[in-house]
Amino acid sequence: MPSFLTRPSLVASLAACSAAVLSLSACAGSTADSASGGRILVIDTTFNLKSADPGRQFEPTGQTIGKAIYQTLLTFKGGDVTKPVPDLATYEQSKDRKTLTLRLRGGTFSDGSPVTADDVVFSLNRVIGLKGNPSFLLKGVTITKNDASTVTLTSKEPNLALPFILANPSLGILNSKVVRAHGGTETSADKAEPYLNRHSSGSGPYTLTAYSTTTQVVLQKNSKYTGPDDPTYDKVILRNVQTPTQKLNVQRGDSQIALNLSSDQVQRLTGGVKVLSQTSSDVVFLLLNQDESVGGVTADPKFNEAVRKGIDYQGLLQLAGKGATQPAGIIPSTFVGSLPPSEATGRDLEGARAALAAGGLKHPKVTLSYANDTAVGGLTLQPLAERIQAQLKEIGITVDLAPGPSATELDKYRAGKNQMGLWKWSPDYPDPSDYLVFLPGNLVGLRAGWKASADAELDPLVEKARLVTKSEERNAAYKEIQRRLNASGPFVSLIQPSRITVTAASVAGVEYNPVWTIDVADVRTS
Amino acid sequence: MTFVLTNLVPGDPATANLGEQASSDPAAVAEYRRQHGLDQPLPIQYARYLEDLARGDLGQSQQSHQPVLTDLRAAVPATMELAALAILLSLLVGVASGVVSALHRNRLGDHVLRVLSLLFVSMPTFWLALVAFYVFFDQLGWAAGSGRLDPGVTAPANVTGLYTVDAVLAGQWFTFWNAVSHLILPALVLTAHTVGLLTRFTRSAVLEVLSQDYVRSARAKGLPERTVLVHYVLRGALVPVITVAGLAFGALLSGTVLVESIFAWPGLGGYAFRSATTFDLPAVMGVGLVIGTIYLFVNLAVDVLYGVIDPRARVQ
Repeated sequence: MPSFLTRPSLVASLAACSAAVLSLSACAGSTADSASGGRILVIDTTFNLKSADPGRQFEPTGQTIGKAIYQTLLTFKGGDVTKPVPDLATYEQSKDRKTLTLRLRGGTFSDGSPVTADDVVFSLNRVIGLKGNPSFLLKGVTITKNDASTVTLTSKEPNLALPFILANPSLGILNSKVVRAHGGTETSADKAEPYLNRHSSGSGPYTLTAYSTTTQVVLQKNSKYTGPDDPTYDKVILRNVQTPTQKLNVQRGDSQIALNLSSDQVQRLTGGVKVLSQTSSDVVFLLLNQDESVGGVTADPKFNEAVRKGIDYQGLLQLAGKGATQPAGIIPSTFVGSLPPSEATGRDLEGARAALAAGGLKHPKVTLSYANDTAVGGLTLQPLAERIQAQLKEIGITVDLAPGPSATELDKYRAGKNQMGLWKWSPDYPDPSDYLVFLPGNLVGLRAGWKASADAELDPLVEKARLVTKSEERNAAYKEIQRRLNASGPFVSLIQPSRITVTAASVAGVEYNPVWTIDVADVRTS
Repeated sequence: MTFVLTNLVPGDPATANLGEQASSDPAAVAEYRRQHGLDQPLPIQYARYLEDLARGDLGQSQQSHQPVLTDLRAAVPATMELAALAILLSLLVGVASGVVSALHRNRLGDHVLRVLSLLFVSMPTFWLALVAFYVFFDQLGWAAGSGRLDPGVTAPANVTGLYTVDAVLAGQWFTFWNAVSHLILPALVLTAHTVGLLTRFTRSAVLEVLSQDYVRSARAKGLPERTVLVHYVLRGALVPVITVAGLAFGALLSGTVLVESIFAWPGLGGYAFRSATTFDLPAVMGVGLVIGTIYLFVNLAVDVLYGVIDPRARVQ
């Protein structure tokens, strides 16, 4: 027998070789940063990214990238979304709140040319004309150039939400000459997306240097940026990394920021990292279908009341971890128009059983549908559904769980086919008007089989909220709407999960914003 | 077949890909359907797909908004680089271990190798990937982090899409070593399962060949043991081993999604998974076509190798 095959050390030798190669690989890796020069910020996130074209992107990762590359007319400072502040323009709203006048205050594109009113009109009209995901933001709004530095936005009805909407990175201002030269138009015939996926044409603090929807996006500091604060990092790399790897990377110092860790994952973090737990603006809610042909028992107001009183909201918060909270209404606690925490529904087991008895409902059985591949702040809907099932069992309601992939479940939910559904709403813009979708005859209301004018008491409240021109009156109207929704609506607001950001100890200035997650230009060294 | 299957799945690509508000806007939905050709009847969609396919156009991905071919040009080499190294290591270690195990039949070395191979075959690859990444990257600091290169390292100019090869072609040795450093751990993880498989198959094939008359005759003729083993035993045992290796290579190319996910490796598995879960039908069909073609070529290569190894299998 050949000696080379009979040596018992064969496996051991191979193992030793592997270890040596691994050690070598660690050495190769450790010198990478010094080779490239400049300050590099590495952010790990689970990509939800389809485009770098502001007029087409409306996904979380796209918003983060858009915020870094393109300036908007208005913006928010840090995580405070209760007050829009000037970015490229100052603003003034007419008394009837139908006209918004924006005056440009400078701004230079990355090619050195100034931002003009023509660029603003082109960029905003393009978003409307593309008929893409963010087009609805400017529905019913007319954009007019007054002079070289003034633009007017006109709405048919009072539009107090418009300043909040204009801060959305999808409404970032493009260099119209450059984009037109690469096939950009204000219609759906626009061909500029491939160009905008390779180059940036904005005035933001960074420019796009590499882009992939699956791997990483690389941003380079824009030397022509004229905004208020010069960014600290020369290069920002956003990598598409799943959460278990995000944890190890940030712990080991391979990345400086991890954006998608759950409360469970951060409990055992080591390596001197910082954990920021903030309340997200996503609201997880239960839907009880009011269409008898779909919902059956869920269309009964007494069943609705029993579910609302039977849920142990504190028990659900335990699952969501530190930073999570119970919204008192459908509008998240971080937005204007939200109800105070004192008005949040509490558990009332006796009341729940009494409601079932009053409705003559003996041992009702329902099916709860949800997407089992959806995570909110690192929390998947599966454990929430299981806990709701157990909680409602205590009052005699049997819940059959019907999970499925979001690709198929979304279809049923949006078609109004859920008897009982567990879903989340992430804000499109931080204004209470975004939550009118939950009312009868509107987008989410119809998904719950809640047809227009199904609740006569709500109609005047909604009318008031839409048409008032004073912020205080408007906020009061939204609170009234939510009280009515809490009393008899087909939605039960459950939790606002936490939003956890883990950063290296060397990093500061990270603040969660519900629109663009984090502003990479605000990140600095501590 | 991929076209029919992807269209049979319940669900609407417009719903899956448009946002909450846009999916309820008839104008946005109509525009989405027009852009992706979904407003046409299925037979016409299929005819157009075939027409485009004949021109080498696999359509546009609804997720990346790029041609599917562009996406595949990035994803396939990434997986190919990983799978090729994994299968190479597997063949080296698996065949050697199988032979050693067979030659030491029912002795301690054989028992150890059989237990190890059983362990490797039974261990879930995603679990092993997590443990390996935790131990070698996080705890020991021996392995490089996730991805194909360190964050500060620029990818070499794209020639083959294989970073190691492209870095050598460009003479970028630092990039080459960086690419190797990122490749080695995921490749070793993938190797574990295939090594286990090849060890067991090689052992069984070698044992069968060892009992053949021609091996006994070779020994009786006084040929050196090394010659008998390499030219008679191994050659005879390689046919089933090559078959298994071919299938394993195909599986490595198409089934590495979880390992790719843990190591943030932008390969074909992750692309296929993402496309399937978002109803990105052109991408799903593109992936199906690529994997089908790869299997075809792997099987062809295996058939050709049969003839090279075993003269009896040659076509006259």
